[in-house]
Amino acid sequence: MRLFWELSKLSFARQLNYRAATLAGLVTNLFFGLLRAAVLEALYGSREEVVGISLQAAITYTGVTQALIAFTMIFGWYEVMDSVYSGEVASDLLKPMNYFTFWLARDVGRAVATFLLRGLTIMAAYALIFPIIVPQGAEQWLALVVALILALLVSFAWRFLVNLAAFWTPNALGIGRFAFILSWFLSGFLMPLRFFPDWFQAICSLTPFPQVVNTVVEVYLGLLTGADLLRALGVQLLWAIGLILASQLVLRAGVRRLVILGG
Amino acid sequence: MSSIITVSGLHKHFSVPKRRAGLWGTLKALARPEMTVVRAVDGISFTIQPGELVGYLGPNGAGKSTTLKMLTGLLVPSEGEVWVNGQVPWRERERYVASIGAVFGQRTTLWWDLPVVESLELLQHIYDIPAARFRDNLAQFRALLDMDSFLDTPVRSLSLGQRMRADLCAALLHDPVLLFLDEPTIGLDVVAKERIRQFIQHVNSEHGTTVLLTTHDLSDVEKLCNRVMIIDQGRLLFGGGLPHLMERFGGNRELVVDFAEEYPAVDVEGAAVVARDGLRVTYQFARQEITASALIGRLSARYRIQDLAVREPEIEATIRRIYEEKLLESP
Repeated sequence: MRLFWELSKLSFARQLNYRAATLAGLVTNLFFGLLRAAVLEALYGSREEVVGISLQAAITYTGVTQALIAFTMIFGWYEVMDSVYSGEVASDLLKPMNYFTFWLARDVGRAVATFLLRGLTIMAAYALIFPIIVPQGAEQWLALVVALILALLVSFAWRFLVNLAAFWTPNALGIGRFAFILSWFLSGFLMPLRFFPDWFQAICSLTPFPQVVNTVVEVYLGLLTGADLLRALGVQLLWAIGLILASQLVLRAGVRRLVILGG
Repeated sequence: MSSIITVSGLHKHFSVPKRRAGLWGTLKALARPEMTVVRAVDGISFTIQPGELVGYLGPNGAGKSTTLKMLTGLLVPSEGEVWVNGQVPWRERERYVASIGAVFGQRTTLWWDLPVVESLELLQHIYDIPAARFRDNLAQFRALLDMDSFLDTPVRSLSLGQRMRADLCAALLHDPVLLFLDEPTIGLDVVAKERIRQFIQHVNSEHGTTVLLTTHDLSDVEKLCNRVMIIDQGRLLFGGGLPHLMERFGGNRELVVDFAEEYPAVDVEGAAVVARDGLRVTYQFARQEITASALIGRLSARYRIQDLAVREPEIEATIRRIYEEKLLESP
């Protein structure tokens, strides 16, 4: 536990040092957020709401999803892959620590730092420009925090699993790109999943990806209450547990397959 | 005494896809890849006793690093058995690596962007080293490796010699019973090499740490190792002490004589003249046939001698001869 904390702390501190990258990311995220808000506003036209989502909620949706990009690394993450191909993985495997937990600790530090630096800043900028929706009451805030933590776990386990492809093939970059486009598209990042036809929603719900984005935003917007809310968080939790277990199994097989290059 | 490392019938084979020429070849390879099997390690057996300092030698690509990776649990063998310190390295990796230290000379185990001391403190948590022991060990290694000047420098800014010292320190903070070193002196200058050697010697003699090291620098072997193993093409060719190796494959010794006056003929039984330069004559003789003192006796009985020196064959040349002439064909 102490080690987890130390690793997270280091990763957090490292993230704070990337000032230029943070600023660039922030500007990009905000720019595309405004673009998406403008598109939605045009599509809504004179309609008050679509499938129970008001224009104000839809615009808030673009803000929250933009704020989640860096936190959950929706667009992809290749750090484990890079460390396998650089051979750095050998140093990590020579240390008496669980390889999954080691990366999780680092990702948590990174996620918390980007949440504070980028996530909160984007939401604050949105609040200045639009009349956005803000969660009400302790209960909804608590649910939001839980949903965010579970979203990070699901997203990390998925990213870790995709990266493990590097243990089998000497070039897993293509697999990674495909997997991350898939998860991005099916997560509800583009538009609230409620906007899509039932059959598409049904496909999405067979994958873990809505747990990373769609669920978080629905909790944020207060679209889920009471039993629905608890059920949604429960589903998130199940996906997190399932993916973490799967990544442990795949990791165990991968370590036995691994060919460390060089030296 | 029971062995700390027991290796028997160890094999590691890699399947490498065969490349074929041309577009058609590439397409064919895509559909039905043809694999070539590379036998990186091809049936090796040996044992190492606690407290030994063993050198593992061989030309590039001989299988040294592959063996070391299997011994440290990074690779799973294709065949064969390995017991290190009562454990099978790859079976319970996390438990096993807590008891060993390893330095792979070409890459660091430290964190690239952290100051050395922070990397070491992180290792304290990773290995769960009690604070007092960590402090003592760090103080000791700092002094021995003269690390004070760069403890606060990020690893990426260290010189190669500094990095190697930091890595050695990192590998030993948790008091491992075994230390694996893959080319620990590669690329270092003479002074830095000497410092590293003294440190390895110290760890071996003072802490009783068993050391297995690979190297291309035969001075490492000469100064450190009480036993060497030579591997080539995945097979073990020799295992034993250096003197024994030299005795068997050392080739001929040389006697350089400066005569007091010029003689028309300087032949002597038991030795051959290989060079003659004015008053200086170089003889070559085999240790099995005649001792140096007998030869000198014969010469001084016949000629007036100003000065003389016996030259032992160089280790480096001997090992090169073993590799090149394949003197050690395995059975």
